[in-house]
Amino acid sequence: MNVSYNELQGLCRKAFSGIGFEEGDAADAADMVAWMQCHGLHGVEQLNRGLDYLLAEDPDALPRLIYQDGDLAVLDGQGHSVLRSISLATELGFAKARARGLSVVKIRRCHNRQLIMGYLSRLAGRGMNITAFWRNAQVPLTEQVVGFRAGHTIPEVRVYSVRDVPEENEPNDGITLVMANHVELLPSLGADHDLDLLAHHPESELLACRQLALREGIQVEDAIWTRLKELAHRILVESSEASRSGAGAGEHDND
Amino acid sequence: MTSADLLSAAPLGLRPADEVMRLERLGSLHATRLSFVRSLVRQMARQRWQISRVRFDLNAEGHGTAVYRLQTPHGRYHGVMFAQPLDDANRSDRVIAEAWDVTFGLVEGDVDDTLLAQMAANVPLQEAGRQHPQVLVLSRANKSLRNFAHFVDALARGEQPDPAWLTRVGYLYRTTAVYGNGKFGLADFARLIDNPDFRRPFSAQMAGVYLLRHFSIEQVEHLAAARAPHTACALDIELRRYLGIGNSTGLGMAPFLINHPQLIAQWVTQRETALTLALRQAPDEADRERLIALTRRAMQHLAETVTEDAEQTERNAATVAALPDVLTWLASVPLETDIWQQLVEWSARTLPLEAQELINTLLIELYPDQVDALEERMGVEENLDLEPDMPLMRLRQLIETHYGWALAHDYASREGTYWFWYRSAEKEEPRLGVRHAEPGADKEMPIAIGPRVARTHQAICDFLELHPRATVVDFLLEYPRHKEVVRRIQTLIKAPYGDIHANLWHRDMKPMHLLRTKLSFFGASRFDPKSDRWVRITLFQGAPLVEELNAEPQDLADFDDWSFPLEPARQGDVHATCRQAGGVVS
Repeated sequence: MNVSYNELQGLCRKAFSGIGFEEGDAADAADMVAWMQCHGLHGVEQLNRGLDYLLAEDPDALPRLIYQDGDLAVLDGQGHSVLRSISLATELGFAKARARGLSVVKIRRCHNRQLIMGYLSRLAGRGMNITAFWRNAQVPLTEQVVGFRAGHTIPEVRVYSVRDVPEENEPNDGITLVMANHVELLPSLGADHDLDLLAHHPESELLACRQLALREGIQVEDAIWTRLKELAHRILVESSEASRSGAGAGEHDND
Repeated sequence: MTSADLLSAAPLGLRPADEVMRLERLGSLHATRLSFVRSLVRQMARQRWQISRVRFDLNAEGHGTAVYRLQTPHGRYHGVMFAQPLDDANRSDRVIAEAWDVTFGLVEGDVDDTLLAQMAANVPLQEAGRQHPQVLVLSRANKSLRNFAHFVDALARGEQPDPAWLTRVGYLYRTTAVYGNGKFGLADFARLIDNPDFRRPFSAQMAGVYLLRHFSIEQVEHLAAARAPHTACALDIELRRYLGIGNSTGLGMAPFLINHPQLIAQWVTQRETALTLALRQAPDEADRERLIALTRRAMQHLAETVTEDAEQTERNAATVAALPDVLTWLASVPLETDIWQQLVEWSARTLPLEAQELINTLLIELYPDQVDALEERMGVEENLDLEPDMPLMRLRQLIETHYGWALAHDYASREGTYWFWYRSAEKEEPRLGVRHAEPGADKEMPIAIGPRVARTHQAICDFLELHPRATVVDFLLEYPRHKEVVRRIQTLIKAPYGDIHANLWHRDMKPMHLLRTKLSFFGASRFDPKSDRWVRITLFQGAPLVEELNAEPQDLADFDDWSFPLEPARQGDVHATCRQAGGVVS
C-alpha cells in the first residue's frame, strides 16, 4: 500500500508505544524507521526483520556504560535493537565531541544497526561531523561506513567487501561512531586497498529518494502495516457507553 | 528591514509566558488579522488568485460532484466536492461518524478522470479510504439542517432568507475535521515547504474550507432553482458574505497543542510581537477614530452572537458590557504617544480577560504595515533536540526558573489528578476519563506536561545529590525515561510560549480553553460551546466572495476589512432585489 511519510512515522510511533517504549524512545525509533524508508534505505523491511526480537527484548535491560573517559566511551547494547534507547549512546558521543573536538563511541552487541542512521541524521543536523562504521557479515567480510557532514542531514553510504580477510575475524555485532566538531569525516575508500565496492549511496541519490517519497508516497507491505496497526491498537482504550460521553459530544447533529 | 525584523533583532517587551500562556487567557483569545483565514484571504487578493467552476454535476436533490479550479501565480489546484444523501440517523459531527453530507479534497495540479474516480471511491470514506498523494487536504461537512431548509425555501420562493438565521448559526455546512499533512495517504506537509501558495501552516486547509463555502452558496441556489425554476432567486451579496463555514470540534485539538509546542510558540510569538509593535506606535487622531470604530463593530458583533452555552453567553455579555467604558476611555484620554500602552495597562486592571484580549486584537488590527509580515513566520521546523552536554545543575536551575508553574501544582491530591486523557479504540477519538472511576488510565496520553516536569525535576534533584557535576546525558543514561521531557524543556526554554501553564489533570481544568486557543489562530468567530469539551465555531463569516476575488480588487485594505462581521439589514422589498439564479457568478 501507499502511505505518506507522516503516516508511517505516526503509526510507527504508536506501534512502538504499544510495544512499551517510553514516549521519547517511541518517537526516536519511529523517526529512524521513517527516515530510512523515505531515503530508500528500507527502514520498514529492517523493522519487520527485527520486530520479533524487539517484542522479546527485556525493556528494563538498558544500554550499559562499560567504560568512558573524556574522549571515548564503550557501551553494551545488551543485544537489543538500536531502536530502543540507543539514541542516548549517540548523544554521549555528541557531548564528548562538543567538549573535546573528537569522540569515539563503541556500542557492542546491538542489532538493526542500519537504523541508527536515522538518529545520526539529527545529530549531523545539529552541526556534528559523523562517521559510523560496522561489519555486516564475517563471511564474506563486508563493512559499511556512513558519513555525515556537519549541518547535512543526509549522509553518504558505502558498503564494501574485504577480499583479504584478517586471520582474527571474530563476529562483530557492534557499531563504532566517530564524531568531530570541526573536521569532516567523509568516507572515501583508499584506492590501494583490496576491496570490492558493493553499494554506494551518495547524498544526492538519497535526497532524490526523499523527494520522490514526498511526491508519490511510500510503498509498504500490507502485512507489516497491519502488524504495526495491531501493535498501535494496544495504546487505545476500549470504548464503552460511558467512555463515549468522555468526548463531550452528542451522538447526532441534526439541528 | 521591516518592523518585524527590527523587533526580532531585539525582542524586548513581549509579555511574559507566565501571563500569556495561562490557560484562562489562552481560552480568551480572539482571532486577529494574523489568523490563518485572514492571511489566506489577503494572499489570495494580493496575488490575484482566481477560482472557477469546472464541473457542477448535481441532481435536483443537490447530490453529485462539483470541481472548482484554484489558479495562483505559482500553481493550479482543484477543490473536488462530493455531495451525497445522508440519513439523519448517521449525521454526527464526531470523528466516529462514517458518512457525511459532503466530503471534499483539495488537489495539487489537475484532476483527470483516473484521479477523479480514485477520489470518488475514497474521499467519501474519509479515514477509511486511502487518499491520493496529490490530495493536500481531506475534509467533510454536515449540513446545518435548519439553515439549509430555510435558505432553500426562501430562495425558491424568490425571497431572501432572514439574516438572523445566519446570526444564530453562521453557515450552511460545518466541517467536522479538516485533514492534511499525510493523513490517510494525503500529501505530506513537508512537500509544501517550498510551495509559495501553501507553505504556511494550515493555509491549504483554509483554502479547502473557503472553496466549500463557495460550493455551499452554489449548491443552495441550485436546489432552490431546481425546486422552483420560475420563482427562485440568487442569494443577495450581503447574505453571501455573511455566510461562513462552521466547524465542529472536540478534544482532538488538545493533543495537537501539546504535541506541537514549537509551532504553538511560533504562533503565539507572532501574535505577541504584533501586539508589541502596535503598542510602540504613536497614534494620531485617525488611529484613535479607527480603534473606536473597530471597538463599536466588535461590540455589536459580540452582542449579536448567540450561544446556548450559559458560560459563554455570560462571557460575551461581560465583554459587551465592558466595551462602553473602553469607548469612553478612548474618547476622553489625551492623545499621548504611549496611549496604547496606557490602554492595555488600564484594561488589565479593569476588564475581564476576553475584553482585554479583544483590545489587543483590535490594536493589532490597526497596523497592517507593521504586523502583516509576521504571517510569513507562522511556520517552524519542529525538532525537540537534546543538549546532552548541558550541566545537569544548569538544567535544574532552568526548570526552576521557567517551569515554576509546573512545580507549583499538587499532583498528589485527588483534585490535582482528577482527569486523564486517552484515545479510544473507536477511531482513536480523544476522550477524557475520571482517573479513579474509569478504566484506561494505564493507557493515558502523556499530554499533561506539568506533572511530568515535576517528576523529572525531582529525579534530577535526587541524581544531583550523588553526582553534582553530572551532565544531562549522564543523568539520562541512568534514567532514560526522562529523555522526552528533558529535551522538551531544553528546547522550549528558547521558545517560551510553547507550553501551556496549566495542570491538565486538574478537576477545574477547562478543555474548552484549549480548543479556543487553536481555533483563534485559525480565525474562528462565534464560539458556541455545546458542552465543556465540544464547540462549534464559524470561519470566513464576512469574508470577501469568490466573485469579488475574481474581480481583482484594487483596494486591498478594504478587501481585508472583514473582521467581526455584523448582521446585514433585512431588505424591505426583497422581490425587487432578487436576481434569477441563472445569474450566479461561477
